[in-house]
Amino acid sequence: MFQLSLKNLLRNKRRTFLTGASVSLTLILVCLLGAVLTAMESAEGSADNRIVVRSAISLTFSLPESYWQRLQQMDHVLAVTPLNWFGGIYKDERPENFFAQFSCDPQTLLDVWPEYQIPQDQVATWRQERNSFICGQALADKYGWKIGDQIFIKGSIYPVDLTLTLRGIYTEPNAPSAEKSIYFHRKYLEEALGNPGQVGTFFLRIDSPDNVGTVVQHAEAMFENSEAQVRAETEKAFSLSFLEMLGNIRMFLGAIGAAIVVSLLFITANTMAMAARERTSEVAVLKTLGFRQGHVVRLVMFESLAVGLGGALVGLGLAYVLVRGAARGMENVFPIFGTLAVTPPVALLALGLGILIGLVSGGFPAWQAARLSIVDGLRKLA
Amino acid sequence: MQIPIKYNIRTLFVRRGNTLMTIASIAFVVLVYVGVLSLAAGLRASLGSKGDAANVIVLRDGARAETESYFEKDKFRILSTLPGIATGPSGEPLASGELVILQILKRSDGSESNVALRGVDEVAFLLRPAFKIVEGRQFRPGVGEIIVGRRLAERFPGLALGKQIKLGRLEFTVVGTFDSGGTFDSEVWGASDDLGNAFRRENTYSSVLVRTGSPDEAEALIAQIEGDQRLKLSAETEPAYFKEQTTATSQQFVVLGNALAILMGFGACFAAANTMYSHVAARAREIGTLRALGFRRRSILGAFVFEAAILGLVAGVIGVVLALPLNGVSTGTTNFLTFSEVTFGLRTGPQEMIGGVLLAVLTGVIGGLPPAVSAARREITALLRER
Repeated sequence: MFQLSLKNLLRNKRRTFLTGASVSLTLILVCLLGAVLTAMESAEGSADNRIVVRSAISLTFSLPESYWQRLQQMDHVLAVTPLNWFGGIYKDERPENFFAQFSCDPQTLLDVWPEYQIPQDQVATWRQERNSFICGQALADKYGWKIGDQIFIKGSIYPVDLTLTLRGIYTEPNAPSAEKSIYFHRKYLEEALGNPGQVGTFFLRIDSPDNVGTVVQHAEAMFENSEAQVRAETEKAFSLSFLEMLGNIRMFLGAIGAAIVVSLLFITANTMAMAARERTSEVAVLKTLGFRQGHVVRLVMFESLAVGLGGALVGLGLAYVLVRGAARGMENVFPIFGTLAVTPPVALLALGLGILIGLVSGGFPAWQAARLSIVDGLRKLA
Repeated sequence: MQIPIKYNIRTLFVRRGNTLMTIASIAFVVLVYVGVLSLAAGLRASLGSKGDAANVIVLRDGARAETESYFEKDKFRILSTLPGIATGPSGEPLASGELVILQILKRSDGSESNVALRGVDEVAFLLRPAFKIVEGRQFRPGVGEIIVGRRLAERFPGLALGKQIKLGRLEFTVVGTFDSGGTFDSEVWGASDDLGNAFRRENTYSSVLVRTGSPDEAEALIAQIEGDQRLKLSAETEPAYFKEQTTATSQQFVVLGNALAILMGFGACFAAANTMYSHVAARAREIGTLRALGFRRRSILGAFVFEAAILGLVAGVIGVVLALPLNGVSTGTTNFLTFSEVTFGLRTGPQEMIGGVLLAVLTGVIGGLPPAVSAARREITALLRER
């Protein structure tokens, strides 16, 4: 029975190949889009007990340094550390030379990010040297930086250029994307700017995720009538707000994905119908020989399922390879895509689509074959 | 001798179901391709006011965009006395100091984005002749009035005409919407003193736009500004500045569109190939007869490629027609260079349409070529023997 199906598939190898290949190709696209969407929505490295406090106007406005202490005194707050996005230019403006640069307070940074792993002696030297910095392992590997190396970063948001010495390398096994930043002393930047006492964002570590809501409310209320109002939110919400800025581009990607699936359906359904039509007389012969309707239906369905599933598997395999390549290529343009991967849900979706397409595109010809009366079918034998 | 075109068109009708399916699948590819291209074109149009080569934009040295630039107003005073600056109707220098501020606002779907607010004085309008009020009226300085880019007003409910909105620490009223024919349509404009006051930026400007007599004078002025150690400002012509702002963002969509088109195009090629193979197979005897009548192999090849091209053409036209409703659909995203919202309409222009149709025809031809070759290659006797 199945053998007959397989033989049928091999009868017109070219067609089977063309159909399978178009299923594969389209599923590769579905996987790629799925991977992009997943990467956009992931907020890797954000802990559920970290809160970001920033100016309520927008990220281009900063907060007075004096807020630091007031935040520290709040209940449930274990540690507070200031971070400023430096956004300077390393080497040149090409996207592959872009990475996150933060001015930070070396004394408290690691209290808020306890998951960063870094040798104690490195931390000690970094804390002492005002013009030193630490960077993630991934970034050090990328540029071949070693402890003691000096780098130059041209300011763009700030009218200050930095010359920094590498004094420590941290790792964060659970969030590889977090290893693509550098942290240097905020005092270095402040002094160069004439000590304006301004902080871009405060990061707070809270004692338990359960108290996050309370702290967020209190923080916002505390500065309600101050000179600079604040917005407080979880680290994850903060990361996702950048995605939100992209607008309904996500919706467009989703629509594209849907259009792809529909066109894929047309392609396979078309081929399956062709294959079935070619064999009208064969089906009649099978029926004459005593095969039941169920047999015939299963025969046709098995064939289209095999094409759908086979195409899906090949497509998935290729998508894995492609996405890995794309991740490498894209991470420099869009750091968020450094984590690009075909995640299990996306893979399952693609597999499911392959099966669905097989079922749907086999359904109509199978129904036709089942309904076919022997006499009609045999008459087609010219 | 050539096989009459009519033959090909009629044969497409014979296997109607099959032909329709193929057309549908190619049309979808075209739809997606044209859609993404329209997105890129709309974005390019909204960001890419060409600018005037006689206009010079001055920013703080090192800043890449107005949104990250700021300097004291004193520098503006020095700037406006530099030689080479054109003068307006009442003799004032055509130099417009402008304050650009980003404020988080809600879009109509509830998501948030940074919107650029631009504080200007009257001279700003002399420098931008394309600027016009579409609805309502111009703002009056000193009383907290603002005007909003037309598209922005559609996408941000808080910025609709007549609405009151809190910007910084002050309340403003939207009194008009405007069309600038480009970049500024994604911005909110108000009096520079009003906005400066609301955000406590009374003493700074983000940029200065200067009009000179000619592109050559513009270059001379740029050299002078960048050479002046007191100023620590950088300058470039308006077209150069706009171009920088555009390329990075819209390029991503062009790359995305092309990548999708290539991958999906392959899939559609396979579909076209499948269909054409079945056409060829079903008409073996016909082909044999044609050959026996004296038509050359070349004519057979040509006829089938032509048939496939027609298939593609029809699909292309359908795809483009399906994509047409996208034209003008309003959307928005963030330009990450300026970190601010760009609202724009999808733009399905002639270029995008032609691109879509070409893709479809190409798909048809590439898909139709192998079956056409195999049809042309076979021997007459073998063809005639088929049933």
